[in-house]
Amino acid sequence: MGSAEQISQLTIDGLMVGALYAVIALGYTLVYGVLQLINFAHSEVFMLGAFGGLFASRALVPDGGATPSGLASAGLVLFGLGVGALAGATAAYALERCAYRPLRRRGAPRLAYLISAIGASLFAFNLAGKEFGRQSVPVPELFTNGTVLTVFGAEISTQSLVIAASALMMLLAVDHLVAGTRLGQSIRAVAQDAECAGLMGVDVQKIIVATFVLGGLLAGAGGFLYAMTFNASYTMGFVPGIKAFTAAVLGGIGNVRGAVIGGLLLGLVESFGGYLFDASYKNVIAFAVLVAVLLVRPSGLLGTRLGRPA
Amino acid sequence: MTATPRTLRPRSTRTSARRPVAAMVAGLAMVGGLLAACGGDSDDGGKKEYLIGFQGPLSGESQQLGINAYNGVLTAVELANQDSSLPFTLRIVASDDQGQPEQGPTAAQKLIDNSDLMAVVGPVFSGATKASEPLYSQAGLLSVSPSATNPTLTDLNFTSFYRVIAPDTVQGAGAAEYLAKAVRAKRVYSLDDRSEYGTGLSGAIERGLERARVPFTHDGINPTKDYTSQATKIMADGADAVYYSGYYPEFALLTKALRGKGYDGVILSGDGSNDDQFIRQAGAANAEGTLITCPCSDANSDPAAAGFVADYKKVNSGLKPGTYSGEAYDATNAIISVLREQGTGASRESVLSAFGKVDLPGVTKRIRFQRNGDVEGSTVYVYQVKDGQRTVLGPVSTLVKP
Amino acid sequence: MSGLPHQPRQPHQPRLTRLPRLPRSRRVRSLGIACFLSALAAVITGPSGDADHPLAGITGSFAWPRVIIFVVAALGLWAALLSGGHLASPVRALSARARAAMMPSTSMPPTPGGDGAGPPAPAGPLRRIAAPVTGRHGARLGHLALLAVALAVPPVLSTAAQQALVGEIGVYALLALGLNVVVGYAGLLDLGYIAFFAIGAYTTAYVTSAEAMPWHAPWQINPFFALPVALVVAAVAGVVLGGPTLRLRGDYLAIVTLGFGEIVQLLANNADGVTGGPRGVFGLPPLSVDLPGVRYSWGLNPLPYYYLLVVLIVLVMVVFGRWERSRTGRAWTAIRQDEVAAEATGVATIRMKLLAFAVGASVSGFAGVVLATKQFFNPQSFGLQASLLVLTIVIFGGMGSRLGVVFGALVLQGTAFLLRDTVPPADRFIYFGAVVVLMMIFRPSGLLPPRRHRALPRQDVPGTPAIPAAAGAGLVGAAVGATAGAGQDSALAPGAAPGPAPLPAPGASLGSGASLGSGDAPEPGPGAGTGPGVGPGAEPAL
Repeated sequence: MGSAEQISQLTIDGLMVGALYAVIALGYTLVYGVLQLINFAHSEVFMLGAFGGLFASRALVPDGGATPSGLASAGLVLFGLGVGALAGATAAYALERCAYRPLRRRGAPRLAYLISAIGASLFAFNLAGKEFGRQSVPVPELFTNGTVLTVFGAEISTQSLVIAASALMMLLAVDHLVAGTRLGQSIRAVAQDAECAGLMGVDVQKIIVATFVLGGLLAGAGGFLYAMTFNASYTMGFVPGIKAFTAAVLGGIGNVRGAVIGGLLLGLVESFGGYLFDASYKNVIAFAVLVAVLLVRPSGLLGTRLGRPA
Repeated sequence: MTATPRTLRPRSTRTSARRPVAAMVAGLAMVGGLLAACGGDSDDGGKKEYLIGFQGPLSGESQQLGINAYNGVLTAVELANQDSSLPFTLRIVASDDQGQPEQGPTAAQKLIDNSDLMAVVGPVFSGATKASEPLYSQAGLLSVSPSATNPTLTDLNFTSFYRVIAPDTVQGAGAAEYLAKAVRAKRVYSLDDRSEYGTGLSGAIERGLERARVPFTHDGINPTKDYTSQATKIMADGADAVYYSGYYPEFALLTKALRGKGYDGVILSGDGSNDDQFIRQAGAANAEGTLITCPCSDANSDPAAAGFVADYKKVNSGLKPGTYSGEAYDATNAIISVLREQGTGASRESVLSAFGKVDLPGVTKRIRFQRNGDVEGSTVYVYQVKDGQRTVLGPVSTLVKP
Repeated sequence: MSGLPHQPRQPHQPRLTRLPRLPRSRRVRSLGIACFLSALAAVITGPSGDADHPLAGITGSFAWPRVIIFVVAALGLWAALLSGGHLASPVRALSARARAAMMPSTSMPPTPGGDGAGPPAPAGPLRRIAAPVTGRHGARLGHLALLAVALAVPPVLSTAAQQALVGEIGVYALLALGLNVVVGYAGLLDLGYIAFFAIGAYTTAYVTSAEAMPWHAPWQINPFFALPVALVVAAVAGVVLGGPTLRLRGDYLAIVTLGFGEIVQLLANNADGVTGGPRGVFGLPPLSVDLPGVRYSWGLNPLPYYYLLVVLIVLVMVVFGRWERSRTGRAWTAIRQDEVAAEATGVATIRMKLLAFAVGASVSGFAGVVLATKQFFNPQSFGLQASLLVLTIVIFGGMGSRLGVVFGALVLQGTAFLLRDTVPPADRFIYFGAVVVLMMIFRPSGLLPPRRHRALPRQDVPGTPAIPAAAGAGLVGAAVGATAGAGQDSALAPGAAPGPAPLPAPGASLGSGASLGSGDAPEPGPGAGTGPGVGPGAEPAL
């Protein structure tokens, strides 16, 4: 393996993981945009989405069965993504309903939201461990994995393509939704000034729920994609969650396009950093990036908020 | 004592929990009442009852290994209880340490406090063993680990520690020999998970490779999910064999990442990966051809152990023995053999002092101990994944001959 | 503070008489809440599933004979929610009496499902101790009685219970006391707190033994002297971490400290040349006193460690008590309530926050010494879950309350210990997570709220029910009250709308389950416009 090939391989790997971070980061960014709160339990939404998609696809493709191909594969992937997204959305809704809304109704201090979210996170992932077992579970093979094409010596597998295509689709859809639909307009209005938006006739409560659900859909689908490569387990949420958060901060929290750029960039930094130093330090690298960004440029790369002109 | 316990977590003695209830700050009385209400175990008269402790992970991520071992203990105890020639009956008291060192002392103390308890099978994991053994030694309570393989454990002057599994030095030497002579690797990438177990094993392998003059690269990576850049690194290194010293969840992901990138060298791992979960989590296609070394024989494919397998299945409602089940069964039987000799007059001291002299044909190996508590001699077996099944290729010593 | 108990009960009377005419929507809602909590309890306590049978645990939880318990529990809870006012009133009176006796209030939040999830209330006996005595003197007596119990009881317990008292309760009580300074006093959320515990433990290994770790000090000292050393090192670590990060806003700080905690654990694991890596640290000399005439060595026996911990805990509590009432304590309070206002009034916020970090860290350094000298440890002992456990204890016990967090450790960890055969240790965190969420919703001030507790400042989070009269009054009132009062408990907020009455005791929400977020914020009275109080049913219209 020459060094050019390695560089191209690391780039591809980094972008692939980065795309996943971006998808999760959108959930953080959207919620932060409208509530100015870090949704600490978002990582469990991601985990529950992964399990949802996984169990759904296992119901259709039993262990040890033949690997589907062609249209069946595409359908199964879409089905898994859909169920994962639904599971994520349900989890996000439940989270908003049980851990956030009661506090909002009581006008609790900011710290309380964070603590409540931490509690919800502890609760959710440990309960998942109890109900789904504490072993890692693989997503069944939905298609035959193999090298599809080679870019500058880097081999790109079917799986990577599937992940990239799905992530890209989701990112475009969200970008369109936020920028060009009525719902997006309301979200941006609430992000800019909730009180004012309320006075203008936006149902703030509804928009908050919609934002959580939207973030949940993305995280759930992202969870399923993640589980295809890295298997699902009840503790799977924490690390990608933190990294996605880092990505959101890196791009400028509250900024949809920023989250995407932040995710891809973090994926690259990690991929090369893990290669140059030690893969164990991947998490350290992510945290170092987080701290550095927060200290040097807390507004992130793009710096603009949801709702303000980019 | 006649019904077959079907649960993995037995209703162990609640008596030890009752005393603190009465006294702990009055506020805890409510829970205490609840406990006291459901406590109480009566002896059905007749034979004397001895208790045997079990310490290991019965919950948490690594519970499968603990459950395998527990079921092995259960099998031995059930068989002994059916033996009418024994002047006593046996009962297991389980203590869950989750395989974690910080839970170890509390779990151990629970067993030590129970004065009817004659000996302990466990702890299962090396870290928990290190944390618990000082207490067992102080209490003079025999503990026989079925699975703690860290080499240093028997050098720490624990006075009541024995194990029926060979330390990782034995496995490491065997694995290195196999790599050098059977795989004929030109270059080995030795990767560990930086755990106590992983570093011990990789160190032993690398010493063996040095002796065999096989060049190798050492690397460590904490358990993680994303092994893609590690895989790129391994491929750039040009090694034609990768040995991973760690546990199966990570080994599965590593294998997946390597095969996903088209790595065509030999992939190996040790006893921590010797579980069918590995094949499942890596996917059968990726796992195919992977080699696993283990100082343990597979009871399921060993004709000499057929009786044990049948008994195990009967006791554990059809489950097959897993990794460490046979070792736990042997450890328990070694304890029972001492109790049998001593009859109804056994005490912790007498059991501990007699245990070093045990000599017993076990299902995994002949159980005979060295002075430091290590079991004498041991064979390292090599397993291979073939058609999605783990199959035994045979002991290293026979595999390297040709 | 004084004179509170009796006067405010009057305004609640109309509410009681109006109870039977609860709006229908509220009844349905309460039923929903009761069913939901009960179902959740059923699932938590139910059997486990696995990946091949992901629904087995849930279906098993609602299997035939079991389900009855939870239906009954749901109905009971519903009844309790509906009669909230009736139940709440006597409880309020009681806890007011208790408070009058200067004893910490001990009323409990309702435990949904009535199963093992709920820790027991240490209410009864305490109150009995407290009843006959009044005033500050009574508090002293009460505390002495508690101390006497703490000293007298452990020797009669089983050794396993003593081990738990040391390793699971005492050490965590000490940690919680330290974190309490950071979270409870200064209002900074530190999720990497356990890192200082690790630093304390590794420092001890460094200075007391030449063999335990590859890296060691050129000379070894008696483990007792490791206490001040670990204290200083941990405090310095607190300052080093705090320096760059404390300028960050609350939730960012939480994430960054979390990262710091992870990094410390990772470094401890990876730097085998320094820390021994995953092999951990084994064989440190036990604590020992070697003075002329006095020779004593702490061995493996847990009891001496327990008494050492009691001494440390009492010491820390006394010191913090003084601190709390000093200028520094008031500065922390000001920062917690409104940092901008504090800064404007001349509080050196950064310096004070650094101090809180350093103080909290140093206590955890103490705990590290005890851990290190008592038993084997490795990097695994300092994971995120441990950090979250300490946080749970602080939340549960009562942020800002010294006695509260110690009780929190005792009750939470004690319950976990007692139920260790019934509840698999791995499932504990389900309960802990639920406790945290329920506490934040129903009783954010904790089991034993601090005596001088004031509501945490309420901030205007977007989407906060857009301010109908009552809620609005509460919000403004709380905000004003918070900024106004640096001492008085009952500051009747000037902004409170017609009818609001102060609650006599913090979080006297038993029964009604949800009547108020936090202690002594003014509760909007019946006259405020939205009907009977801000109960679970009073959904403010948007």
